[in-house]
Amino acid sequence: MSSYSNPEVLVDIAWAKAHLNQPNTRFVEIDVDTASYESGHIPGAVAFNWRTQLQNQVSRDIISREAFEKLLGGAGIGNDDTVVLYGDNNNWFAAYGFWLFKLYGHKKVHLLNGGRVKWLNEQDAPLTKDVPSVAPGKYTVTGYHSELRALLPEVLQASAGRDRNLVDVRSPDEFSGKIIAPPNLPETAQRAGHIPNAKSIPWSTAVSADGTFKSADDLNKIYVQEKGVDPSKASIAYCRIGERSSHTWFVLKYLLGISDVKNYDGSWTEYGNLIGAPIDNPSGGSSGTK
Amino acid sequence: MEVMDHQIRVYEDIFEMLPSEENPTPMVRIRKLNPAADFKLYAKLEWYNPFGSVKDRAAWNMLRHMEDKGQLGPGHNAVEATSGNTGLSLAALASARGYKLRAIVPGRIPGEKKTLLKIAGADLEVLNDDVCPAPGLGDGSINRAKSHAKASPGEYAMPNQYENEANVQAHFTTTGPEIWRQTQGKITHFFAALGTCGTVTGVGRFLKAKDPAIQVIAIVPTEGHDVPGLRNVSQLHVSKLFDSSVVDEIMEIDYKLAYQRALELSRKEGLLAGPSAGLIFEGAREVAAKTKKGLGVMIFPDNIFKYLSNMRKHHPELETEGFGFFPTT
Repeated sequence: MSSYSNPEVLVDIAWAKAHLNQPNTRFVEIDVDTASYESGHIPGAVAFNWRTQLQNQVSRDIISREAFEKLLGGAGIGNDDTVVLYGDNNNWFAAYGFWLFKLYGHKKVHLLNGGRVKWLNEQDAPLTKDVPSVAPGKYTVTGYHSELRALLPEVLQASAGRDRNLVDVRSPDEFSGKIIAPPNLPETAQRAGHIPNAKSIPWSTAVSADGTFKSADDLNKIYVQEKGVDPSKASIAYCRIGERSSHTWFVLKYLLGISDVKNYDGSWTEYGNLIGAPIDNPSGGSSGTK
Repeated sequence: MEVMDHQIRVYEDIFEMLPSEENPTPMVRIRKLNPAADFKLYAKLEWYNPFGSVKDRAAWNMLRHMEDKGQLGPGHNAVEATSGNTGLSLAALASARGYKLRAIVPGRIPGEKKTLLKIAGADLEVLNDDVCPAPGLGDGSINRAKSHAKASPGEYAMPNQYENEANVQAHFTTTGPEIWRQTQGKITHFFAALGTCGTVTGVGRFLKAKDPAIQVIAIVPTEGHDVPGLRNVSQLHVSKLFDSSVVDEIMEIDYKLAYQRALELSRKEGLLAGPSAGLIFEGAREVAAKTKKGLGVMIFPDNIFKYLSNMRKHHPELETEGFGFFPTT
């Protein structure tokens, strides 16, 4: 049985329990449903709001280097701190946070395997509503790792050139063009379907019933053997707004060890709104509403 | 008046009205819509419970057990994930007992139910848990309720209708004995839907103990259903109360028929039954048509009044906007 290529990126519940209230270990909760934190969280954890704190509020972009420094400094997180990210929905936005931390060069960042639900359902894992008081400090971004992020021109090249693995992690109905987005979500697009030459591998195929990641062998079997991701090629993952794709980006890059993996955070809400972009829509609908 | 008299039906408080073998909810025979003359089909009308649904039974039993343990009482409130009916029962009962319910509800439930919960005194927390169902996510509402109970143990305790044996026990001690007595032990088939699975497990255990030949049939809606309170096969893992040893068959029924049969029950039988009753009826109808002979009892969990928006969605002809003549067929 093989192990993950970079097992150190994950911490488990036992590790987290043993590292509560340690001065240089900081827990950060990032949820899809931003009300989850207030109902109870890991003692000492702070919350980042993906809508208001991780994205530029004017242009569509990730937060700037300065805003990232301000966010982490304000939360009392230092450059050398060990940061453990966790959240709801199997760590969707915690994985997005992980990607952002890596993009801005933070060295010691981990995901709590199984996320919020796993912690909640552990018998002796404590939960609190107390918001920790933190002493703001100074955080300095040391680099920007553009090699982790795919922008539109590269995605168009990957689609046309077929020289990279293009992985669509959305649900089968989104991929086929039957729907544009899951119900009740405000972020959507004008057109349905998928980027030509993308493989459909829904993000959820990477997780077990208890919310933790599947074994290295299982992941290799699913992504490489069954779905045809070629580990010798560069890869780009995309979804709707870039959070589910962060989850798959994490799997491909750190658990399977593919060296060149990028997250296309523009994802379908950028691509599906472009004038003239090539789209495959097997369901045949022009707007996904039929 | 010191002693309860279920003939006169005058009670000292609402709790005395809760159902029991001596005070059963009524059973009414299906006449026009029954496909087999020799298969008697009875609907047990659970909306005759004090707060309008089968959930009164489990709610009352769970609260009593938790009060006895000192977990609930003034200042010690309940928190529960509920699609409406359990919440309404818990909220009304808790209010009458002097404490509160914090009800965690999925956003997709009908507005009527949310308002009812607030009228009954519940604090309401509405979630949007419709995002991309997947393994491991659990149920957003249940986990939110667990979160409050775990993070604020002095303030909240969670009945947890999906795991609490008192839910099953309520049906073992009331619904089961009621049906046995009402049918004079002649029941051959029992039909219920699956939500928490408390009804089917509790009644199933009671009836199987009386007569193992009684067929216990669970009715579930097809995938993608919108029947509030019910779970299909892929959603069943949420409940810890399902006991497959007392269930003879799980029938999957097209969920759209829930709304079709509910309308027919209203118009042909005078039974203003809700969609889950409609789904159960369709399952029972199919069994009756095939089996030809027997005595079946169906749980009709609640009536139609809370589902007007669902009904309009499935039967656009029920819309009454504007002016004019509105034929019913």
